[in-house]
Amino acid sequence: MAHASKKSYLAIFGLLALLTALEVGVVYTGVARKLLISALIGLAVTKAFMVGWFFMHLKSDTKTMKATVAIPFFFPALYAFVLIAEAAWRHFQ
Amino acid sequence: MSASVAAQHEDPPDPHGHGGGKVLPADEYGKATNGKIAMWMFLVSDAFSFGGLLLAYGILRSGAHTWHHKFGELGWKYATEPKLGINFTAGLTFLLICSSVTMVLAYAAAVEKNRKQTLLFLGLTILGGWMFLAGQYHEYWGIWHPGLTKEGLILGRSAYASTFYVVTSFHGLHVFTGTMYLLVIFLRTAAGKTDENSIELVGLFWHFVDLIWILVFTFIYLL
Repeated sequence: MAHASKKSYLAIFGLLALLTALEVGVVYTGVARKLLISALIGLAVTKAFMVGWFFMHLKSDTKTMKATVAIPFFFPALYAFVLIAEAAWRHFQ
Repeated sequence: MSASVAAQHEDPPDPHGHGGGKVLPADEYGKATNGKIAMWMFLVSDAFSFGGLLLAYGILRSGAHTWHHKFGELGWKYATEPKLGINFTAGLTFLLICSSVTMVLAYAAAVEKNRKQTLLFLGLTILGGWMFLAGQYHEYWGIWHPGLTKEGLILGRSAYASTFYVVTSFHGLHVFTGTMYLLVIFLRTAAGKTDENSIELVGLFWHFVDLIWILVFTFIYLL
């Protein structure tokens, strides 16, 4: 099965390490809470995607395989957003 | 039963030209083996377990008036709860990323039929997993300084403590399972009983453990 080269695996590793350092750095910068939450979630999702796409080889899988993995997450993600938003809304009432 | 309905119940011709009754995945899945599709199905269902736990954490935290309890504050009669150590856990995160790259290099070596390198990288991945578990033990119970349990973060005492222990220990259980799975594959590879597909399957599980930790690190430690 043709997958990425060892060199590209090491490049992804370097990027993941850099993004982890960035995550920790962002926490110590003391930016506003809302900005911090957005930045950290954005960085975490990017890193998780990189692991799935490159290391778990979703990149070289077929469209059907990608859809089989991705589609089941749609509704749970929606529920999560609604439930957490509802809890936060009640908190600020 | 009509002839056309009866025809639908007969065994379909093997689209891949293999005999022996072996059922292969549909063409839409390309070269993916049954094992790979099954592993992905398991990982998706396992992700829902983590999703459920993180969702409970999100709801409890976003609705909580106080998350870290301080002695005497709002009638809290216990010792002030410790904050989680970000720097140490960032080190554990880096360790898991390192083990993920050794895992993918083990797979690359297996594709090249290089058994010696496959074993080397599998061994390094196992070492990374054990070091992570040792780090988690230190975080909970302490090796060179008191762990969280001795500093006042007690399971069942607060939502902060309970969600922390439940989520991180559930992940730790996955790391332990992963290292055991890797060990079995390491021994089978040494005996020449594996191929690149076996390495790819254990790799999928191990990368999943890393992927989940990336999210746990952000939600539980950094936010």
